[in-house]
Amino acid sequence: MEALLQQLLNGLTLGSIYGLVALGLTLVYGILHVPNFAHGALYMVGAYVAYYVAGELGASYWLAMIAAAVIVAGLAVACERLVFHPLRNAPPIHDKIAAIGLLLFFEAVVQMYWGADFRRLEAPSNTIFHFAGLTLPAQRMLIIVAAFSLMGGLHLYLKKTLAGSTIIAMAQNREGAFLVGINANRVAMMTFAISGALAAVASTLFAPINLVYPAMGHLVLLKAFVIIILGGMGSIPGAIVGGLIIGFAEALGGFYISGDYKDVIAFALLVAILSIKPTGLFSQGVR
Amino acid sequence: MLKLERVDACYGSFKALDAIDMTIEAGELVVLLGANGAGKTTLFNTVSGLHRPSAGRINVAGRDVTGAKPSALVASGVVQCPEGRKLFPDMSVMKNLWLGGYVHRGDKRAMQKTLDDILAMFPILAEKKNEAAGSLSGGQQQMVAIGRALMGRPKLLLLDEPSLGLAPLIVKQVFETVAEINAAGTTVLLAEQNAYAALKIASRAYVIENGRLTIEGDRESMLGNEAVRKAYIGA
Ligand SMILES: Nc1ncnc2c1ncn2[C@@H]1O[C@H](COP(=O)(O)OP(=O)(O)OP(=O)(O)O)[C@@H](O)[C@H]1O
Ligand SMILES: [Mg+2]
Repeated sequence: MEALLQQLLNGLTLGSIYGLVALGLTLVYGILHVPNFAHGALYMVGAYVAYYVAGELGASYWLAMIAAAVIVAGLAVACERLVFHPLRNAPPIHDKIAAIGLLLFFEAVVQMYWGADFRRLEAPSNTIFHFAGLTLPAQRMLIIVAAFSLMGGLHLYLKKTLAGSTIIAMAQNREGAFLVGINANRVAMMTFAISGALAAVASTLFAPINLVYPAMGHLVLLKAFVIIILGGMGSIPGAIVGGLIIGFAEALGGFYISGDYKDVIAFALLVAILSIKPTGLFSQGVR
Repeated sequence: MLKLERVDACYGSFKALDAIDMTIEAGELVVLLGANGAGKTTLFNTVSGLHRPSAGRINVAGRDVTGAKPSALVASGVVQCPEGRKLFPDMSVMKNLWLGGYVHRGDKRAMQKTLDDILAMFPILAEKKNEAAGSLSGGQQQMVAIGRALMGRPKLLLLDEPSLGLAPLIVKQVFETVAEINAAGTTVLLAEQNAYAALKIASRAYVIENGRLTIEGDRESMLGNEAVRKAYIGA
């Protein structure tokens, strides 16, 4: 029983991180129809920015997280302006090739400065709480609280503010959005900024548990794609619920089946769910 | 208010608008008659900036707006209520209307006042304000679409076939509403196939055929025109 609770807690941690990464990916997909393969690279760059600010400049973890969010948001906007925007009328395959190009570019730049070594980002607190036989490291608690606060904040932003509503409006009816005077470029930049910031916060949260290295975004990105396919492309609740499902499945599967298979479980689950419900768990599109 | 000079628009190599010359004075209610595929929607989308003209010039209130972005046009008072409504189906009626005022977002008090006027005009929308726009009946959705356009406080309102697919009684209501909007000072360009009802509230009309304006005249001359009667009134 305790082992199960412990694994559920680990699953919740993983699921929170996956959910944050998948949210950004699904927002960009739902609004701009770009499958942003470079999203994993943004996640990785976020961790390096945090590592640089906290580890090399010696600033606090929190400052490092803010710096990572701001810089990666800016980087994501730059990708949109310089790469995806000029390709908006090109055949869809061009977006995908460009996104892979960006991914390789970011990895090469990071590797040029920091090499391929594994690095550690110190957690803000190494306290470990014990409660009812469970081990609760402070960082895992932080991940869960921060991820759900961010998701809640994003929800409020999208539903309750006029600026946030423009993102949803663009997803629900593009021409309708143009006709009320919503500026497509603004929405595109805002969406990329949000997705970049979410990815950077996710990697800064996860880095103290899981090392920092140039290829750290690969598996996370693959899983984020699994999650948004599972949850329904473009669906926000789908990304959150899908993230949790994959997180729980990995933690439980890794414990009860074998740790060696934990990365395969996400994909097995994808095949299983899609064969029952081919459109994903939630209806597609940003609601 | 609106002046088009030799405007062409193409889809690929297909010329959907051919040398359109059109002038609409402030305060007029002008009808654009045309059969399916004549080019009405293309003309509207070209004026709204959704579609770039391949030749010619477009002027709004004396300013050249050729090639301007839709958002800039809405901000300068050219608002379209499109064919097929193009609402945000999963958002509430209220949210749809509120987004209609997006370009006036700096002035929430004026937005609220416009909203109150619109809800007074369409009381049913006040009742349904929290329901998803996509769940309303066709006529109610048309009211949301017109209301959303009015939230932009148009100087020139482009209405693309607002009567399409509505029951006769609702069509009558829609035309009455359009006449009211015009009487309150908004210039209106109304695309219609429902020629008789449209001409009743219009001051002038144009006929578009295969991307060209072929007939033009005031209400009486249009109602008396043999070709117009044959093609669009069926009498
Ligand atoms: N996106 C498009 N791509 C290619 N051709 C188009 C496109 N939209 C319209 N057309 C063509 O342009 C011509 C004019 O179409 P348009 O939609 O402007 O007509 P309309 O007068 O609004 O017709 P309706 O009364 O059916 O709405 C038609 O021949 C149509 O086939
Ligand atoms: Mg049309």
